[in-house]
Amino acid sequence: MSGDGKRKRYGYLVEFADVSSIIEAARRVRDEGYVKWDCHTPFPVHGLDGAMGIRMTILPWIVFGAGTAGFLTGIGMQWWMNAFDYAYRISGKPFWSIPANIPVAFEMTVLFAAISAFIGMLGMNRLPEYHHPLFRSERFRRATADRFFIAVEADDPLFDEEKTLAFLESLGGTAIEEVED
Amino acid sequence: MHKEIRAVGDNRSTGELSGKIVRFGVILAAVGAAASLILLFTGTGAERFFRSYLVNFAYFLSLSLGALFFVLIQHVTGAKWSIVVRRVAEVLSANIGLLAILFIPMILGMGYTYHEWLTPDAAEDPAIASKLGFLNRNFFIVRWVVYLGIWYLLTSWFYRGSVRQDETGDILLTLRMKRLSAPSLVLFALTVTFASFDLLMSINPRWYSTIFGVYYFSGGAVGAFALITAALIFLQRCGRLGMSVTTEHLHDMGKLIFAFIVFWAYIGFSQYMLIWYGNIPEETEWFLHRQTGSWTPVSWFILFGHFALPFLGLISRIPKRAKGALAVGAAWVLFVHWVDIYWIAMPEWYPNGVAFHLLDATLFAAMAGLFIAAAGRRLGKASLVPEKDPRLADSLAFENF
Amino acid sequence: MGTPTAEKAAEEQIHGVPLVQGGLDFTGVTDTVCSVCERPGATKGWYISFAIASTGALTLFAMIIYLFWTGVGVWGVNQPVGWGFAIVNFVFWVGIGHAGTLISAILFLFRQRWRTGINRFAEAMTIFAVICAGVFPGIHVGRVWFAWWMFPLPYQQLVWPQFRSPLLWDVFAVSTYFTVSLLFWYMGMIPDLATIRDRATSTIRRLLYGLFALGWRGSNRQWHRYERAYLLLAALATPLVLSVHSVVSFDFAVAQVPGWHTTILPPYFVAGAIFSGFAMVLFLAVPARQIYGLKNLITLQHLENMNKIILATGMMVGYAYSTEFFVAWYSGNPYEQFTFMNRAFGPYWWAYWTMATCNVIIPQVFWIRAARRSIPVMLTVAFFVNVGMWFERFVIVVTSLSRDFIPSSWGFYWPTWVDILTLLGSFGLFFTLFLLFLRFLPMIAMAEVKNVMPQAHAGHHGGHRKEQV
Repeated sequence: MSGDGKRKRYGYLVEFADVSSIIEAARRVRDEGYVKWDCHTPFPVHGLDGAMGIRMTILPWIVFGAGTAGFLTGIGMQWWMNAFDYAYRISGKPFWSIPANIPVAFEMTVLFAAISAFIGMLGMNRLPEYHHPLFRSERFRRATADRFFIAVEADDPLFDEEKTLAFLESLGGTAIEEVED
Repeated sequence: MHKEIRAVGDNRSTGELSGKIVRFGVILAAVGAAASLILLFTGTGAERFFRSYLVNFAYFLSLSLGALFFVLIQHVTGAKWSIVVRRVAEVLSANIGLLAILFIPMILGMGYTYHEWLTPDAAEDPAIASKLGFLNRNFFIVRWVVYLGIWYLLTSWFYRGSVRQDETGDILLTLRMKRLSAPSLVLFALTVTFASFDLLMSINPRWYSTIFGVYYFSGGAVGAFALITAALIFLQRCGRLGMSVTTEHLHDMGKLIFAFIVFWAYIGFSQYMLIWYGNIPEETEWFLHRQTGSWTPVSWFILFGHFALPFLGLISRIPKRAKGALAVGAAWVLFVHWVDIYWIAMPEWYPNGVAFHLLDATLFAAMAGLFIAAAGRRLGKASLVPEKDPRLADSLAFENF
Repeated sequence: MGTPTAEKAAEEQIHGVPLVQGGLDFTGVTDTVCSVCERPGATKGWYISFAIASTGALTLFAMIIYLFWTGVGVWGVNQPVGWGFAIVNFVFWVGIGHAGTLISAILFLFRQRWRTGINRFAEAMTIFAVICAGVFPGIHVGRVWFAWWMFPLPYQQLVWPQFRSPLLWDVFAVSTYFTVSLLFWYMGMIPDLATIRDRATSTIRRLLYGLFALGWRGSNRQWHRYERAYLLLAALATPLVLSVHSVVSFDFAVAQVPGWHTTILPPYFVAGAIFSGFAMVLFLAVPARQIYGLKNLITLQHLENMNKIILATGMMVGYAYSTEFFVAWYSGNPYEQFTFMNRAFGPYWWAYWTMATCNVIIPQVFWIRAARRSIPVMLTVAFFVNVGMWFERFVIVVTSLSRDFIPSSWGFYWPTWVDILTLLGSFGLFFTLFLLFLRFLPMIAMAEVKNVMPQAHAGHHGGHRKEQV
């Protein structure tokens, strides 16, 4: 909040009514060179990633790593518990019975990988985030229902109160408003 | 729209490529067959010949059946992405006709391959005697006539229907194929199960496993998907299908190979683990042969080569979208699938250790040559894509996300 | 070439009819789904159903308390049938749970877009079915207060769990399955919870739904990772769903008991699980779409597709039955042969033939298209499939145990009233949870349904698909 009593500006919010227009608009915002901006849509719009220039997330590699760790934990745990720390013979099976260890090792792989996918997704998306300037906008409530939005942040190096506004107005949205921080 | 023009561009026919493929196949077959016959008559003897023959027959049969499965499953699900790759699968499945002819030597060799239940001693063995009503020469041949007849009818019906649509564009054909695909899958499941019991499981008539049919099927499906993929990439290298089959379709083929690698491993593990755990001598005998002597490294090779390596190799989307890597993967899978079939059959005759023989390779070459020639000939006869399929546009425009 | 009408019908069958009917747009979908959980009070029917279901759940709890108080003697289990209703019910409920993950994960990977109408539903059902399933092994162990020995926790005697036992694999499989299903279900719901939050008119609703929506605001940078995570969870859940019922089947198949020890059991159990699960989804979806006016979102096409899967998995189950029967004969093993003859013609013949009729014969009506599209027919089939699948587990568990290797140790199992009330009570628990879900959570995945509507794709101008071709 700035000292003169007026709240700092978060940025501008442009509303679109359909998928085609937001993809087209996103392409132009990207080409203009903005970096601190985002689209908000009620569902994942295919083609928007490309239009925004979003690169593939590294999430799959995190999940792969976690899965491998889960597998090793599963095998290691069973070896340590049944073949090393307290070895005892059951139904004539070897202390360390790999075929019998596969199911649990598999479940551990999936468990670790799935949890990492979920937590990883939330973490990289910085969720939960209960407070966000965009929630101030009454109009923005429809971003989770049936409207499409582009938000350009005032922190963007290219941001200029008037030029940006003029540019955003030229995108052909159905409405445009200023959002306070 | 531009996509449609691409489908009917000049890459829809093999043109003179077909002749080249056929020539290559015929030469390979001739060399392979000549070498095999020389080996047969210069001291190796019929026993080894027919055993190698059975392994290679079971291998190529599994590929054609896997291709038939691919075709049926696309019809039954009404899949759209796969239209542009379906023709290649149809052509490969139609090789069943060739395999029906190749089955004749199998009958001649039964005395060497199924001697366990064909010998008069079998009647003395209580574990075998009770099933001689099923396992006997005449009934075996009758069953195979039925299996091959059913497969021939199915493959040629679906192949011809698809080709006819190229000319007429009749969308009712699509519907008819869709309708018939479901009962066809039922027939397919039953025939493949019993065929696998007859062909491979009965080599050791004492041993039995209820999952065996699914195991043979899963391996064949992996092999067939790999073969379809390899064929698509090969045709693209030869300047065909360049516009209609895209990275997206190859990516999906890669996913199918990956999925069925996992499925195969699941079925294989279920069979192994349950028999290992139950530890009943009449069942463990089968795996014991494969864990004895030089068969042990082969078993390990299958575990790593048929599962771990392709699993890790194909898990990422990068290799699935890179033509070269995918081609290597497909070739590898085709190879390990052959080893798998070899490993199913051979230890029952040679329990003491791997007895690789040059005949294994020469007969492979002979059958591969015929298989390639038959496929090449058929590829030349029709378009490389089902060009009037009503869903073709969807398939061409298909994209993974 | 057929007649024009035949061509049109063919066209429809090939390209499919739109998944969302009634001309709904994004706003319409949002309103239709949200209005169900935004109603100020529930309908009378809901209260009546809830009263019945929660009575059932209370009965279950009462039976459990009685069991703990008195001991497992209140059940019908005894030598030689030491596994009775508890295991039958466990396998039954775990099986029901499989359809949810199948619909959300496997059909997702297969790009079956029609799944979006029913996946939320089916996932919820999975969670509740797994809860019901989890009750049984827990109460079946005898000395329940030692149930924690099943987890790898160190305690004073320094003995660790015995990982060579399939019963322990179950603990891991079912708890992993529950966790992953819950994650999948919840993650899928985050955007929809945000939708309800943003529509909320009261602060309390805004706070409550907002709390679970985690501040989701539909940012595309977030969607990108979200979709990737969803795909990964689907790819993980697919082998998981196969593994869970396989592990359940290992409980039986690793033993040497004839009728249990057979290698096809894992895939056969999985097929059966999907079969019964789909029947249950259908059984729940048909009344729900009727009552809550969701016919435009869960269309006849959705139901027909589910019926096709019921038919397909029913055929797989039939395949397994016949393979088992054939191989039992082929094995030449007199014990195997006896077991299967005993199943069909022994003292439990009625259970066997109920199973065969309900699971293999009755679903065959789905070969007829009109039957697949008839509500009364599909409800009837779904009902019988669930009955049949319960009996399948009964046949497997009880017939094999009651007639083991030595005739002197043969016995006969019969459930007690406690067994029966516990089973009925588990249905009460299931429906209680399900009714709460219907009342308070978005029962259709709005974001996913919107994603498969034609308007969701760039270049759509409201025209017919002909223009795209």
